[in-house]
Amino acid sequence: MSTLKTTLTGYTGYRGREGHYAFLLHRLTGLGTVLFLAIHVVDIALVYIYPEGFGDVLKLYQSTLFGIGEIGLVFCVFFHGINGLRIAYFDMFKPGGWEIAKQRNSTRITLIGTLILWLPATFFMLRNILIHNFGLFGG
Amino acid sequence: MAATTETVRRVKIRPNYDHVAWKWMRYSALLLIPLVWFHVILQDVIVGVHAMDLNYVAERWANIGWRIYDAALLGFAMAHGINGVRQVANDFIKGERARVVVSWLLFIFWLVITGIGAVALVAGVRQNFPLN
Repeated sequence: MSTLKTTLTGYTGYRGREGHYAFLLHRLTGLGTVLFLAIHVVDIALVYIYPEGFGDVLKLYQSTLFGIGEIGLVFCVFFHGINGLRIAYFDMFKPGGWEIAKQRNSTRITLIGTLILWLPATFFMLRNILIHNFGLFGG
Repeated sequence: MAATTETVRRVKIRPNYDHVAWKWMRYSALLLIPLVWFHVILQDVIVGVHAMDLNYVAERWANIGWRIYDAALLGFAMAHGINGVRQVANDFIKGERARVVVSWLLFIFWLVITGIGAVALVAGVRQNFPLN
């Protein structure tokens, strides 16, 4: 158990600012995505295993709570992808870029890129929830 | 500065398991970015979960191209994700035996989930005939 404590203290105590946050976010978004992915594979497999129950699962996904989770999931997918590209780029083409200033700068660019993709997607998903779950915008 | 001679000796290191796993993470990632992003933008943003039902999946999977697309998603994303979990787990687990046990458990989990997905992908939507 001591290794658990050491690793967690390292995760939280290290004060590397942007580069450190990018590392933590990469792990969190990756774990979040794979957790959903495992559930998602099983729920889609219901179309063959138990098609009568598929509609109930979709009802759950259409709920407001899951809709908010979906918006979070889309953030995870976009951030994890762009940050992965950032890491691969430095590794393969600019190994000299592994220094604090460049890491801070590129992490900010990663976040901006994520927001550029995520905010419009969020607009449409939020609109869908408001139309179908709250009867707004003529829903 | 003292004169030194420098000799470069090239050594070929045989890639071990983790080396191959690391390469897998990177190459599958480059493929997953277009695959997953397009899938997410299409299904979550453009179509939306409110427009989906059993028929939607049946119509989608009537096209072999989409089945191949989904098979690629299942194969690459699930393996990338489970190996990622293994890497995170190795950060927390230091014992050699415990690492082997966790790796095997994750492998079995990956096999079960991928198997379930593959069965559904091949068999398709189970519908009662006649269709209405």
